[in-house]
Amino acid sequence: MTAAAAAPAGVPVPSWWGVGLSLVLVGIAGFVVMRARLGLTRELAVSAVRAAVQLTVVGYLLSLIFKHTGIPGSLGWVAAMVLIAGRVGARRGRGLPRAQLIATCSVGLATAATLGLLVGSGVISSKPIVVIPIGGMVVNAAMTATSVTMLRLRDEVASSRRQVEARLALGLPGAQAFAPHARSALRTSLAPQIDSASTVGLIALPGAMTGLIIAGVSPELAIRYQIIVVYLGLGAAAMAAVTVVTLGQRLLFDDAHRMRPLET
Amino acid sequence: MTAPLFRLDGVTVRRGDVLPLRDVSLAVSPGVATALVGPSGAGKSTLLRLLNRLEEPTEGIVSLHGQPLPSYDVLALRRRVGMLQQAPVILEPTVLADLRLGRPSLTPDEAATLLQRVGLAPEQFLDRSTDGLSGGEAQRVCLARALAVGPEVMLLDEPTSALDSFAAATVEAAVQGLLADGLSVIMVSHDLRQARRLADDVVVLIGGQVAAAGPSAEVLDSHESEDVRRFLAGAS
Repeated sequence: MTAAAAAPAGVPVPSWWGVGLSLVLVGIAGFVVMRARLGLTRELAVSAVRAAVQLTVVGYLLSLIFKHTGIPGSLGWVAAMVLIAGRVGARRGRGLPRAQLIATCSVGLATAATLGLLVGSGVISSKPIVVIPIGGMVVNAAMTATSVTMLRLRDEVASSRRQVEARLALGLPGAQAFAPHARSALRTSLAPQIDSASTVGLIALPGAMTGLIIAGVSPELAIRYQIIVVYLGLGAAAMAAVTVVTLGQRLLFDDAHRMRPLET
Repeated sequence: MTAPLFRLDGVTVRRGDVLPLRDVSLAVSPGVATALVGPSGAGKSTLLRLLNRLEEPTEGIVSLHGQPLPSYDVLALRRRVGMLQQAPVILEPTVLADLRLGRPSLTPDEAATLLQRVGLAPEQFLDRSTDGLSGGEAQRVCLARALAVGPEVMLLDEPTSALDSFAAATVEAAVQGLLADGLSVIMVSHDLRQARRLADDVVVLIGGQVAAAGPSAEVLDSHESEDVRRFLAGAS
């Protein structure tokens, strides 16, 4: 067994040597990929290196923020996550008018509303040590919902022009003409989040709970955080998806209620 | 001379480097059927879509009853200027729900009258699911749906081109019924025989420009321009 350093709470954590040893698992994955001639060896290696570099940088940055910057630092960190998530979400909606704006606003609004509500009401602490990890989970849920909704919205725009124009030709406004397609996009994007909430704890122990248990918190206490995180995720996903569709619908139609073509 | 229903003055539509319509000036009479004919890519559907503002001219003015189209509320305009697309687009699970799409207050009796107008027996179709409709039936339901909002003019974009000859005949009969009721109809047609059967006036578009326009017998038989003669000879 590898030597283990002790965390402040007395919880054993792996040493850097142990972390290095876990690289064997990447080697196994690389061997499988090479043997099957999937052409993914380089991608796998780059991902493994990126993961290590990103997490190391993030670890040290978070240490700095936790020690020195307080609430402004944690808000800045969450804002940076929102911007990155907005860029990722926008990629899925390429071709939609103002995709970057829609995605960033959706993730930002969902994160601010859900996280703001719980921090503002004192349900969770405003300390960076809480806001940043919980914020990360919220941003991730909002980003996933944003990405799927953007993708579905784009598909609906590409495939439903005849149906939408048939409704427009009856004198319906753009938002009403697109409403069935917006509902379809929303249903698809929220279904995974709802499924995930309904099986939480049964298929895998979720991240927040796992982290707390490893840190020495009893499972009966850890579930409180996890329930909040699940509800935050549901709320953030729903808000992000609805924002994508609301903004998307508005930007999809011009003043004369004509559906704009997808940008190339 | 009656005032024109629609008037186009110097209308050009530009999409990037492409000009689907170039400097088109045209008057369309009310209470008659006007057919827009021409080869593929001549700008027929683009011209039709200008009339209910699904397209906007890059240059020029389109007027309805002497007023530029942008001076009308666009949603009200689309209720006055109905449109039937090339292939039937059914939007609701039942015929009655589909007919009510543009007018939710439509009563079953009013819906039955609309179905009769397009040659569909209300007792068979009113409560029917839209799933099993044939192409011709579906296109006539779409026509009835467009009529439900009370248009004064119908735009028909090749309404029979996606149908077999039997279904096409049923749709054509429904259109003839509307014409007999005095409704103004502007239709894009690829079928010169159909244009001759239905239209009072014909506009020939070639390369985004009006090559000929006038009473159908005159335009389809006189063949003044070389381009028109070549198109008519190829299309008939």
